[in-house]
Amino acid sequence: MGWENRTDCHVLVIGSGGAGIRAAVEAEKYGTVSIISKTITGKGGCTVMAEGGYNAVLSDADAVSVHFEDTVKGGAYLNDAALVEALVSEAPARIRDLFNWGAVFDLTADNTIAQRPFGGQRFARTCYAGDHTGHEMVMTLLERLRGSNVEIHDETTVLELVKDGDRVAGAVTVDRNGELGLVTADAVILATGGAGQLYDVTTNSTAGTGDGYALGYRAGAKLIDMEQVQFHPTGAVFPADSRGRLITEAVRGEGGLLRNIHGERFMEKYDPARMELSTRDIVARALATEILEGRGTSSGGIYLDVTHLPAEQIEKRLPVMLSQFLQFGIDIRCEPMQVAPTAHHFMGGLCITAQAETTVPRLFAAGEVTGGVHGANRLGGNALADTQVFGRRAGISAGKCEPSAKSVDAGILSAVEEKISRLYEGDTAVSSVQKRLKSLMWNNVGIYRNELDLKVAEREVRKLQGERLRITSPQEIAGACITENMLCTASLVISGALLRRESRGAHTRTDIKQKWEASSSPFGHTWFVGEKAGIDIVEANL
Amino acid sequence: MKVSISRFNPETDAEPHFETYDVTVREGARVLNVLDAVRDECDPSLSYRHCCRGGQCGSCAVRVNGEPALACMQEAKDGDIIEPLNLPRIRDLVTDIAPAIAQMAWLSAGECRDCSYVTAGDVEEISPLRECIECFSCLSSCPAVGASTYAGPTAIRQQQRLNLDPRDKADRVEEAVEKGLFSCTTCHKCVEVCPKGIETPRKAVEKLRAQAAARGLSLPAHKSLAALIESTGRSVERKEPTFLERVPDVIEPEGEVRSTVGFFVGCMFNARVVQPALDAMDVLRRNGIRVIIPKSQVCCGSPLIRTGLVGFIPELQERNIKAFADAGVDTVLTMCAGCGSTLKNDYDTPFRVADITEFLVETGFEEPAKVPGTYTYHDPCHLLRGQHIKEQPRVLLRSAAETFVELAPRCCGAGGGVKSGKPEEAARIGAVRAEMVKETKADYIVTVCPFCEFHLHQVTGLPVKNMASLLLEGYQRKDSA
Repeated sequence: MGWENRTDCHVLVIGSGGAGIRAAVEAEKYGTVSIISKTITGKGGCTVMAEGGYNAVLSDADAVSVHFEDTVKGGAYLNDAALVEALVSEAPARIRDLFNWGAVFDLTADNTIAQRPFGGQRFARTCYAGDHTGHEMVMTLLERLRGSNVEIHDETTVLELVKDGDRVAGAVTVDRNGELGLVTADAVILATGGAGQLYDVTTNSTAGTGDGYALGYRAGAKLIDMEQVQFHPTGAVFPADSRGRLITEAVRGEGGLLRNIHGERFMEKYDPARMELSTRDIVARALATEILEGRGTSSGGIYLDVTHLPAEQIEKRLPVMLSQFLQFGIDIRCEPMQVAPTAHHFMGGLCITAQAETTVPRLFAAGEVTGGVHGANRLGGNALADTQVFGRRAGISAGKCEPSAKSVDAGILSAVEEKISRLYEGDTAVSSVQKRLKSLMWNNVGIYRNELDLKVAEREVRKLQGERLRITSPQEIAGACITENMLCTASLVISGALLRRESRGAHTRTDIKQKWEASSSPFGHTWFVGEKAGIDIVEANL
Repeated sequence: MKVSISRFNPETDAEPHFETYDVTVREGARVLNVLDAVRDECDPSLSYRHCCRGGQCGSCAVRVNGEPALACMQEAKDGDIIEPLNLPRIRDLVTDIAPAIAQMAWLSAGECRDCSYVTAGDVEEISPLRECIECFSCLSSCPAVGASTYAGPTAIRQQQRLNLDPRDKADRVEEAVEKGLFSCTTCHKCVEVCPKGIETPRKAVEKLRAQAAARGLSLPAHKSLAALIESTGRSVERKEPTFLERVPDVIEPEGEVRSTVGFFVGCMFNARVVQPALDAMDVLRRNGIRVIIPKSQVCCGSPLIRTGLVGFIPELQERNIKAFADAGVDTVLTMCAGCGSTLKNDYDTPFRVADITEFLVETGFEEPAKVPGTYTYHDPCHLLRGQHIKEQPRVLLRSAAETFVELAPRCCGAGGGVKSGKPEEAARIGAVRAEMVKETKADYIVTVCPFCEFHLHQVTGLPVKNMASLLLEGYQRKDSA
């Protein structure tokens, strides 16, 4: 037990979705690498669940500059230009990496990578493998990882980052048996994904609990735009326990139509030019409005219909959707799906440079745990590209760090031990806190927000943070610490939502009337560093 | 909802035990939601895996009422029994899948920097083998794993996935042989339990075996069998007058002709165990079925297809199709599950192929008298999964047997060329089956496959009756009563 369980590596990667694995295989070129994930490697992240695709400019008829403009416009001009530039210019090279490593993407008749249209883009630039694109990417990355010398630690949860002075120097971990461990590293990469699990209704895997935001925040890193939570317009509504399960945007990309209970294609009212293929923020609000105003189905959904498409197209391009719905008793070839918005992607997160450096030395980040790439609303297909572009960049930057003698602050180790012993004396079930948090976030910090609801949420989260979590066995340590991470992340989301006194992208404040368009907003990023938080002002737009 | 969950804590328990829980869940709840409810309401220490909740990550595979399923997709039912996969156990429902993952090969691209030569055709071929979510349900239920050093279905699937990929530079065929390619009995259990329905036996095992065979890597017993078929058209040597030598070209029924069928006898019933086939003729006659028996029919080729020695297959297919097409029948009956499955799945026939049990139940049959004794039924894999025939043999058996006791399906080890090529492995699979049979306390086993019949008798020591023979016995009792 305890700190005899100590290992060292050059680069420690936390998280094993698309960004984490990509970072690990890149960092391995520079020294020893360990990848730690709280699930079986590759299974936990949202990458493996990603269905629709990967945006990359591959055709001469398309242009990187157009992908840039689409991304920034879709992001309501809150994106960091340098990050977007990196994303759009490098996405093509990174999909070629995957292809060279064995990825089995759909090809056109002339054997080039096939691309389909996705929302908010002026060109069909979304590459795909049926509707299991993320699974295909993860299998490819896993093959690459298994053929490397990266040390893989499955089902090990990071409880805290450890520092040597002002630099990050490793992490305290707990394995599935409840054994504590210490991993020291010259550099650490956070690739822990998002936090959809803060919400009652979400597309995210159960691993999407926002640990990286909380770990980075407690290590002193700057986070931005945490209020920017994307609600995907189309989540499942039935059965009750599967509410929120992702219905891929590819359904609309392939020609799926949205209709309300009266059979009206209501997108005419919200975005007549782009209709179903408008950006996710707009489509999600449209669905929420239709449902709130009583034009939804009796189970609180909107119809998403592909019955007019040839059965063969559905079978070939949307096989996962077809089989999932069949298992719930619905044949989407013959009857419409019912959908409703669901918490999907965190656009905010750790503030990074184009080289994936956070504001804390030796701490790097990639993928959904970062902020700035997608601004206030992410385009479908940009997240998978994000994982590969910034995963590789984080791997390079971390790999290039000079080796250092790591003297770990003993205080943090004893703090972790004390915290764990307190958990055995707690009185509140972990599941009870999580349930209350999720429904609070869904009700008060959802698509439509106002100051009153947010203030209530702020107070309630503080109360939940005051409750004493209880565990009964060492295997429950990870779950309790993850719950604390969820509360920490939730408080940042609420704080950002209060700070941003405008509607922008995915963040909609119904209590504020604003005169400006997103492009001329006087506000920049919200930000959070330790006890301080604020919102940047864009002087030029004042 | 009440469920039983198998619990095991390695620190305190010598053996796993079941606990029953009563929890409240919503309509349409999945097994995973029930596990969540047990954890939240009853015992926070319950260990189980879960991630995507949408059947895409493969974390949550468990056994529900004995059969593998993804907990996140399987609808929960009152009384469900939830156990871990049949893999080394860590705690509660969590198993150690690391050794299985270690068997999965990765692409070796060599110096490939521009893989633009991959074609849409390659993608179409590889894609069906690419959907694996590494849930290891197949490994958990494969009868050959545990009876041999076989790496298991999904490891072989991965070999073929790489073998098909022009970017891959390694020799996946030889590797597959080392991983136990010839240990698969082609029982198709892996397909049945796969959440993605990946057809590993047909799309990976048999394809890799064909390539291994082309390189001379076949097992010696398979090579001599292939030589026998090529020289005689039969997989069984003639030792005494065969079925085809003993019957006329047409057998007229007793009384009114209700239908006319062709009869495909298969090598085993033609030359090794002739009596059940003769019995079947009597059963058909009794039920008003005229039987046409073309004498030019030959081996269906099943032993060749399963073992990869496929060079002679087109000729066999042509001769058999011609034999029955010339006879002018629109339905051909088989009574060997292996022949039936091969004619249905590996042939493109201008006539319908039906198993004798399928046909009798469909067209109606005369009730026999009950034959004394306790009977159980062994599902031949090539009937159950090869032809999706489960109920019909049971209908017949219930009408003919004094007492019928159920037996859960499991491969007996006789198929896929394993019995001829690796008899010791077939015997080990058979020994497991024998234990299951023993638990039924049956006096007799009934089945519809001569390979199963032969092998089950060897491993159980019990008399194994063919379904047709039992029916005939019932008719004879009826007549003498």
